[in-house]
Amino acid sequence: MSTKLQTAFTNTLNRELRRMVSRPIYFIGTVVIMAFSYIFFLTFFSEGQPNKMPIGIVDLDNSSLSRQFSRNLESTQQARIVMKLSSHKEAREEMQRGNIYAFVEIKRHFSVDALSSKRPAITFYVNDGYLIAGSLLLKDITYMSAATSIGMERKVLRAKGIDERRIMGIIQPITQDTHLIGNPWASYGTYLLNVILPGILQLMVLLMSVFSIGVEYKERTSREWLKNADNTMFAALSGKLLPYTIIFTILGVIGNMLLYRYMRYPLNANIGWMFLATFVLVLSSQAIAVIFIGITPVLRDGVTFAGLFGTLGITFAGSTFPIEQMPSGVRLLSDLFPIHHYFNIYVDQALNGVPIHYSLSSYLIMLAFLILPFFVFNRLKNAAIRQNYPTK
Amino acid sequence: MNTSHKTSSLNKIIAILKDTLNVIKIEFRTLFKDRGVVTMLVLAPLAYPLLYCSLYKNETLIDVPIAAVDCSRSQESRELLRHIDATQNVQVISKFSTLAEAKQAYNEKKVHGVVYIPADFSKKLNTGDQTTVSVYCDISSFMYYRIINQACSNCILAMSNQIQMERLNANGITGESAKIAASPIPYDAVILYNEGAGFASFLMPAILILIIQQTLFLGIGMITGTSREENRFHVLVSSSIYKGSTLRVIIGKSICYFSMFAAWSFFVLQFVPRLFNLPHIGIPFDIMMLMIPFLLSTVFFSMTVAVFIPNRETGIVLFMFMSLIILFLSGVSWPESNINGFWRAFGWIFPATCGIQAYIKINTLGADLHHISFEYISLSVQTVIYFITTYWAYRWQIMKSARKSLNKAEITK
Repeated sequence: MSTKLQTAFTNTLNRELRRMVSRPIYFIGTVVIMAFSYIFFLTFFSEGQPNKMPIGIVDLDNSSLSRQFSRNLESTQQARIVMKLSSHKEAREEMQRGNIYAFVEIKRHFSVDALSSKRPAITFYVNDGYLIAGSLLLKDITYMSAATSIGMERKVLRAKGIDERRIMGIIQPITQDTHLIGNPWASYGTYLLNVILPGILQLMVLLMSVFSIGVEYKERTSREWLKNADNTMFAALSGKLLPYTIIFTILGVIGNMLLYRYMRYPLNANIGWMFLATFVLVLSSQAIAVIFIGITPVLRDGVTFAGLFGTLGITFAGSTFPIEQMPSGVRLLSDLFPIHHYFNIYVDQALNGVPIHYSLSSYLIMLAFLILPFFVFNRLKNAAIRQNYPTK
Repeated sequence: MNTSHKTSSLNKIIAILKDTLNVIKIEFRTLFKDRGVVTMLVLAPLAYPLLYCSLYKNETLIDVPIAAVDCSRSQESRELLRHIDATQNVQVISKFSTLAEAKQAYNEKKVHGVVYIPADFSKKLNTGDQTTVSVYCDISSFMYYRIINQACSNCILAMSNQIQMERLNANGITGESAKIAASPIPYDAVILYNEGAGFASFLMPAILILIIQQTLFLGIGMITGTSREENRFHVLVSSSIYKGSTLRVIIGKSICYFSMFAAWSFFVLQFVPRLFNLPHIGIPFDIMMLMIPFLLSTVFFSMTVAVFIPNRETGIVLFMFMSLIILFLSGVSWPESNINGFWRAFGWIFPATCGIQAYIKINTLGADLHHISFEYISLSVQTVIYFITTYWAYRWQIMKSARKSLNKAEITK
């Protein structure tokens, strides 16, 4: 019995390998797309954080003090003054054109007012239509404005004859010290790539698994496929999907290596746990692919479902916007996405480095997806024999 | 003679119009007969925006649970924690006496941040020294970090400013001069165009344009893939095999897609933002004007690429992932100014990169058409280029199938 199953399995495997070299889609859909995505995202986010973003300044004072302020702004990590503008209106229009993400307005007589203690205000405008650029610039410009004000304050207090040791206590009685748990550099790439790269991986696993099965029904080769597997659906599916399991796991592990070794993104656990998570992500995505093609053995519908599910997965992972802050039903839905559990493992292990038993349930839930295909075995088998589904 | 010339050219024009109309009719018919194409070209562009907008309905985070480690246990520390708890964005759900205990709660995902107040907090405040409050943020999502950090720093700053006043007073600096001493150069941050710093307001406009491009692209890919499978090119060509026909086929098909998506864009770009309370300060007419080159360039881009799609499913399998790539190329998340030259040039291949920028500028930033002239010209240039490539690609295909059918005819003879 077991040898029979073994031959059925090997026959299917060999058949699939032959099919895989017969058409370019198999190579493009696995290696080419994943390689392209790795190259794209790693070079795209190589800077880590967007530095020296363009801002404008409306300096109506043009004094040594206001120019000093401009220079201070230039020295911040995120801002770069690319244009000097003559009015608020002009600056706002440059913002609407998208040429600058923020601008600072320094009023006339700024310097004279500052020196004569008239408290001249600095106003800055940030464009949160581009939220990332806006909030990073807000942070830097606020910091620089505070620093300017504090510098001035120190002078005032000194002039009043206050003891140097007490000055800091007066200027800033309470300071804040922010710690980013696990990601000390606050690199933007870390937030995104740790979910986008596995996100593309699971999308391609879903699509290619659905495709490789569905194409048998579409091209009416399903009988041959099943016969070759000795009429056992288990052998037919496992023999067919194994090559993709291996290829995508290797590609996923390469992705892990790129993130944690090459880019040196935070990794506070053994990298083996991420490899395992990647492997389980591939397996569980394949299980879902079987369900999709099992529900309707029509290739077109299968790939549409898989594409929809795969792209939604990136939202449901929970990195862009936390799942627990989404509408209540969404939270339950997110459990249906393997990538959501992968993301939890990433947060616990790579980012926070918590003991592995916290992640155990995530691994197990992903493995539990492997039960799903058994529900559609009969359906797939009947459809394979009867070939009673539309081909287009 | 002149009149006969006129009538013959009039007849010719009528014939051309008839042919074109016929192509439109056939295209609409094949489109609505095909369930997969209807899903991609009708259902997806109308349902996706509603789905994504519902998922990202909450603009910001409300009452994110955080823990407090209050080693000071003083009136001042309790006051600070009360203020933090009272903010809309975070909520102090538990208090611990050591950081290790708080870490435990964090590991169990019960809290997403920790505020640590040192034991000498109150003492230092009373002796006029400087003290430090530590804030630990979950950074699994950028949103957690931003919200927790912001809520805490607002409260800490407010308390700090109040104490500053007291200390200035104690040093004999009072009234207006205390104000001057406390902040000699006041600063004021004004957030424009997305006042609540909302996540959906920032991301959704880009997604809406992306959905239009991708569904149009994948839908056209599916139709073309199907005709290649069924070799429908053959049929299209057999009626008239001269040069003009290629043009009529292309124009007929593009009118079909364009008119359909002009209607969808009205729903997606005008109605959806109002329904979900996303930014919509742009002039509706400007948005519709923008859609003309955007949809045309997308249609011709898709028709060109689709010629190389051999089967109806290939497009979805091989191009779905591009949605993500294009989203980043558009420069809405990672700022456009910081995209390196190579990828920026690569982004110009896709109408959506310019389309997203232009739409955000009109819709979110309230720009006029003349502010987006760069994007408008780029999209128009893309329209022309992709029209020419579509013409070549179709011509090449038509010639190929004509040659094939000719060979076939000779063989059967």
